[in-house]
Amino acid sequence: MHISEGVLSGPVLLTGGALAAAGTAVGLKHMDYDRIAQVGILSSAFFIASLIHFNIGPSSVHLVLNGIVGLLLGWTAFPAILVALTLQSLFFQFGGITVLGVNTVNMALPAVLCYLLLGPLIKKNHSIAIVASFFAGFLSVFFAAVLLAMSLVFTEENFWEVSMLVIISNLPVMVIEGIVTAFCIAFLKKVHPVILPGYLA
Amino acid sequence: MLGGLVYALLFLIIMTEYAFAHRVTVFAWVEGDTVYTESKFSGGRKAKNAPIEVFDSQGRKLLEGKTDENGEFSFKAPKKTEMNIVLVAGMGHKGEWTISVDEFEEENSGNSQNPASQDIKATPPDTVNEPESMPDETTVTSPCLTSEDVQDVVEKTLDKKLKPIINKLNKSLDPDHGPSVSDIFGGIGYIFGLVGVGAYFNYRKKKE
Repeated sequence: MHISEGVLSGPVLLTGGALAAAGTAVGLKHMDYDRIAQVGILSSAFFIASLIHFNIGPSSVHLVLNGIVGLLLGWTAFPAILVALTLQSLFFQFGGITVLGVNTVNMALPAVLCYLLLGPLIKKNHSIAIVASFFAGFLSVFFAAVLLAMSLVFTEENFWEVSMLVIISNLPVMVIEGIVTAFCIAFLKKVHPVILPGYLA
Repeated sequence: MLGGLVYALLFLIIMTEYAFAHRVTVFAWVEGDTVYTESKFSGGRKAKNAPIEVFDSQGRKLLEGKTDENGEFSFKAPKKTEMNIVLVAGMGHKGEWTISVDEFEEENSGNSQNPASQDIKATPPDTVNEPESMPDETTVTSPCLTSEDVQDVVEKTLDKKLKPIINKLNKSLDPDHGPSVSDIFGGIGYIFGLVGVGAYFNYRKKKE
């Protein structure tokens, strides 16, 4: 999911940076500062998620968790993911500082999209909420894969194969994320529904 | 259409090896004239059959090749210059490693065929690890065993004996150890610190 340093061309990096800055600005504006602890905890969860590997067949995949971050934070997912990605690039050398903008947009934009599309459904009855949260987890990784493929359009010569590959190879992650997100939302709905979208007074 | 699909599937099978990782590293070291490289993903998976390109300091491509089943690739250095070794793993993944000129010089300074060995011969007191027989040989000037021969033998033996140690040293310089526990907790610490700063300003604003 993380694009390495030195792969993308200048215009792509600049566009990514500008979009990430805009998204972060909107996110900071939307942020409920009374619930900043929640933002921090979700940011930490995202930071750690990349270290959790699953071995599937011959390969290993890692969690992204942008779906659940998006559902719980909405636009604030942008600053949360930006912070987590910055620290990932500094501590784990995943991605890099110059590609930070592109990587942030790739992961945070799908999170916000899923929040806008599926967030309202979380408030509905139990089964609808479970299905919606599964799709939030699934689609947030799917859109992230699509955006990742799109960022490579100017640098990979056989773009269609690469984008197909990115999406297919991330299918297991989408399913796992969907299940994880559905479980988290079901649990939160039972235990502490106040932090879910739509429940806010 | 079908052909395209088959091609895409084949491509997928080949590429799956490096489909998921989020970081690739290539690591290279010099032994004699040969440059050895080792490529892997975070988590220790070897980068198999990944293309490697070697550039000189001016950015001209010197050669290219592919890693083998162990993610290793070695080549004879075409010239002793600074080299930039780039591993292209596709899908936005790329790893780089630079070999400086010094590494070649260090490696070759002991080689008797090399002009550098002239310096050593000219200043014998500087070379600490020379065998005791060395002065004897020079004074006796035996026709069958010159000081160069002795030096050559010593160098060769030393090379052989030191090889495992050098390998180990090179491996320990390898940057890819994966994140440590301190990295993980350090990162979380930073996030909580930011939360603290945010909470502090929020609290101050409320008080006013």
